[in-house]
Amino acid sequence: MTKVLVVDDEAPIRLLCRVNLEAEGIDVVEAADGVAGVEQARAERPDVILLDVMMPRLDGWGVAEELLRDPATSDIPIVFLTARAEMRHEERALDLGGIDFVTKPFNPVGLAPLVRSVLAKVEQGRGETRRHEKLAELRAQLDS
Amino acid sequence: MTAPLDSRSTPVEAALERESLLTAISQQVRSRVDLDAALDATVEQVGRGLGALRAFIRIDGDEPASIMAEWNAPGAPAVAALADRLAGTNLAARLGHTIALADIRNAAELDDPSLGGRETLLAAGVLAVLATPIVARDATVGVLTFHRSDAGDWSQGDIDLAEAVAREAAVAIHMARLLEETEHRLAQATALFEAARVVTGELRLELVLKRLVMALARLLHADAADCYLLDTRRDTLRCTAAFKLDPVLVQWEFPADEGLAGEALRRGRSLLSRDYPGLQAPGPHPAYRDFTSYLVAPMLLAGEKQGVVGVATRDQDRVFTRGDADVLEAFAGLASVALRNAAAFEQSARQARIQRAFYRIAAALAAPLSQDETLQAVVEAAKDAVGGVFAAALLPTRMSLRLVGSQTLPDALAEALARAPAGALEDAARDGRVLTAQAVASDERFDAEWKNLVLRSGGKALLAIPLGEAVAGPAGLVVVFFPTERAFGDDDVELARHLAAAAAGALVRSEQFETERSSRALAQHLARISRLLAPELDPSLVLREVAREAPLLLGADVCVVHEILDGELVVVAAEGEGAAAAAGSRAVLRGSPAREVVESQAPVVREAARSDERSADPLLAAGYDAYLSVPLTAPDGGVRGVISVYSRGLRAWRPDEVDALLAVSGSASAALANAQLYQRVALEKERNEAILAAIADGIVATDAQSRVVLWNAEAERITGVPAAEALGRQPSEVLQRELASEGDVPSGDRMISITRGGHDVWLSLTEAVMSDHEGGVAGRVFAFRDISGERLVEQMKSDFVSTVSHELRTPLTSIYGFSATLLRSDLTFDDEERTTFLTYIASESERLTQVLDALLHVARLDSGDLELQLGRTSVGEVVTEVVAGAEAAARNGHRFVVELPDGPVAARADGRKLRQVLDALIDNAVKYSPGGGTVTVAARERTNVVELRVADEGIGIAPAEQPRIFTKFYRGGNPRPDGDRGPGLSLFIARGLVTAMGGRLSVSSVEGEGSSFVVELPAA
Repeated sequence: MTKVLVVDDEAPIRLLCRVNLEAEGIDVVEAADGVAGVEQARAERPDVILLDVMMPRLDGWGVAEELLRDPATSDIPIVFLTARAEMRHEERALDLGGIDFVTKPFNPVGLAPLVRSVLAKVEQGRGETRRHEKLAELRAQLDS
Repeated sequence: MTAPLDSRSTPVEAALERESLLTAISQQVRSRVDLDAALDATVEQVGRGLGALRAFIRIDGDEPASIMAEWNAPGAPAVAALADRLAGTNLAARLGHTIALADIRNAAELDDPSLGGRETLLAAGVLAVLATPIVARDATVGVLTFHRSDAGDWSQGDIDLAEAVAREAAVAIHMARLLEETEHRLAQATALFEAARVVTGELRLELVLKRLVMALARLLHADAADCYLLDTRRDTLRCTAAFKLDPVLVQWEFPADEGLAGEALRRGRSLLSRDYPGLQAPGPHPAYRDFTSYLVAPMLLAGEKQGVVGVATRDQDRVFTRGDADVLEAFAGLASVALRNAAAFEQSARQARIQRAFYRIAAALAAPLSQDETLQAVVEAAKDAVGGVFAAALLPTRMSLRLVGSQTLPDALAEALARAPAGALEDAARDGRVLTAQAVASDERFDAEWKNLVLRSGGKALLAIPLGEAVAGPAGLVVVFFPTERAFGDDDVELARHLAAAAAGALVRSEQFETERSSRALAQHLARISRLLAPELDPSLVLREVAREAPLLLGADVCVVHEILDGELVVVAAEGEGAAAAAGSRAVLRGSPAREVVESQAPVVREAARSDERSADPLLAAGYDAYLSVPLTAPDGGVRGVISVYSRGLRAWRPDEVDALLAVSGSASAALANAQLYQRVALEKERNEAILAAIADGIVATDAQSRVVLWNAEAERITGVPAAEALGRQPSEVLQRELASEGDVPSGDRMISITRGGHDVWLSLTEAVMSDHEGGVAGRVFAFRDISGERLVEQMKSDFVSTVSHELRTPLTSIYGFSATLLRSDLTFDDEERTTFLTYIASESERLTQVLDALLHVARLDSGDLELQLGRTSVGEVVTEVVAGAEAAARNGHRFVVELPDGPVAARADGRKLRQVLDALIDNAVKYSPGGGTVTVAARERTNVVELRVADEGIGIAPAEQPRIFTKFYRGGNPRPDGDRGPGLSLFIARGLVTAMGGRLSVSSVEGEGSSFVVELPAA
């Protein structure tokens, strides 16, 4: 069964994710800050991590760096949940090894299909490709 | 003791005894060296043998007769004192044969009284006389006489014995005389030999003659001796040597036909004064007055009369003999030989001197000698060749002659020659002819002053030799001085001409050498001047250097540099004697050398200044004669000034000297252009530095090697690195990062960060690359500003956008998410779930509202559009109310302490806004005190001010952050421990509100101990 780790300091958002993912048959584990997020990722070895950026103690960038640096967690696809609208943050997210990002506010109904799509691509070995595609697309937009 | 012969024997025995006695006597007189002793012994023995009263030998000759040997029987008186009055002896001498008188009393032979008379003999006890002449070589040299006191015949035996003894005595006396003669001749020969040795061994005539007269005086036992030489030209006899005579005689002369000397010379043989009592002898000089006898002999050589030698005596008894005359003649011959030797020696010495002189000149010709050295060699050669005592070389100047060399020249004469030589010498130099003066003292061509000077210096004669046309212009002269007056023969003049020709050759050679040497020296000196001037960056120093070096270069006395300033020629540099007079003067007068150069733009060369120039130029007016002026060119090719050198006296400027000064002018022009360019650049640089120092941007310039050459004040301020530390090093060394972009093309405006005092400082950097003529990088200029503040604002703006985005999107996410979830048709939720979702929607909506309110406040504060309801506000009430609310919301066990004064505390404030401020401060205190603790809220009133304080025991604020916590969106390095990020606006809004109410909000904090915020408001 697919397991998703939701790392976000906002309790309502964690609840929102859990309700909508579990409704689609996906297990959800939560972490309320970055430090807890890293611990949970190592402990639970989720299939996908939904990671907020602005968090106390350790922000989303720090969590992503930590997890990517650790061979035990470096292959877990990360989808950033960010309230920041600027593209440079999305670029940074992808630079840091994130596979996708979702901008707040988002429609929680789309979370499960996103998770599944991510998992499918990873399974097809296209995780990196997708990430690079996204990155190239973003940079083209930035340059223009 | 011999017994009388006749008394002891027979006639035969007596004859034998006589024979035996004679044999003994013969041996005795022939073997004994001492003739007197031998004859004494002989007369005694024979006297005794003949039984005589006495026996004696009288010597007869030129001199008065004298008794040579005498024996007297005991009691018989001696007759030595009566030698010439002994009649018997005299008779025998006169007759020339033996006389035997048996009794003088009746001997008629003695009647002639001239024989001495009988009485003398009788008085001496004589009665019988036997006298026999002693004949040597046919001449009677004496008489052997025997006296007897008794009368009676002399036996034939007695007579034979006497005659035999007389013969023996004759032999002995003759031998002795011969011996004496031989010894005398030997002594004369020895003296002559010694004299001859002197003559041949010594070449100085005066010394030879002096020794000869000394030897002569000794040999002839004379009291004085002298020698006079004949001066055929003047027909005088001049004393050359005098022994034991008044020394004033030497060099004294008298007419050659006077006195005994004149007579001897005329007759050509020696003369004795006694033969010519009428003559004044040997010459008319008082020094000869005391002498009694003179002997003079002429000096003849091959019949030619050369002089006389003489001896004199004061002794009345000393009579010069013929023998003395022979000796004197021999010495006269020797003196002639000496004279001839000396003349020959003089001749050969002169030849040697001449040869040496020509060698010396030849050596001067061969060696690369300077003109001075050559002249010196010529002077020495000339002096030696003609046998002078000192000499001088004079070269022509414009007006006269000048002393250029000398040889043992007395100082006074040298000074006089240097000042002005005699007119006669100038004439000789001008005409190029030999000048001879055999007696300067009486030479009318010289004035009295010159004569005195020469005579005082020890010169009596002079010879001036022209040096030909070798030296430019009229001829020079070599003047040789002589210590005695002397005649100059044709050969002297000829020699002088040869010398002059040789010297002229040497001078031509030396002039070539001088030219070469001076050209080489000029070139070397020029190179040195160029090196000296090239690096000089001060124009006035360049000109001063030129003024100092140019006279040294050209052997001139002074240099003046004019520069055209405001259309006038002004002396800007001057060095040398009298230069001070020219300094600062302006050459305004037409005809001045400087003006002529400016007008002609070409060098002006003068061996001697014209009279019209003298009045136009201060240095020419001051006595300088020759000058050389060249133009000093400006960078545009025009004349910017004039360089002039001056010399005292006539001075010919060679073309290479003119070229050399032109070269100095060229170097000076280039150096001046450089120096002036440098000064302009230096001024420009100074101005640029002043500008750079004044502008607000940091300016850093680097050279081709990336070394810092400029680091302005702002760069110091921005980077914190002093210029002194940065200059000469690469920026990367002092800033720990590179400023330059890669490559030759600057990458436009960039932002870079450097570290200053441990903090990052952001710079906005612009870069310009300077290229050299080959396209390489010659340097870079960086301009930068500290945009750390701006960047912070940018960062804060960015943060603001992010924060606002976050603060708005987060509640929106919940509101939108739960709404969308509730609207899902594929899911059903129970009531509890739905309530939860709706509660979140409500609370997040509230949150969204608060955020929007805060943003609205900020906007109003920023625009100043804040509505305030200011009025008397009870601070106590506000505190109580807000703390109560906070206590209600507290979750971490905070304790709230309220400290209020007993009486009412009222401030002039907007109550609502004050509540908002206090709320924010208490919220802040709670949030940054994660471990709980006491939050103290106190109020008090001071003079016209109400003070409200909120203190916590929380984490505190770092000192560096304290000023920044009141800025918009700042949330500090310490994140809120509760994770509540908030927009970072509460303290900004709080301070804005307090300020708007006319109050002040401040903070004090110790990290780790807590913070204390104080609100001060006007009291109401």
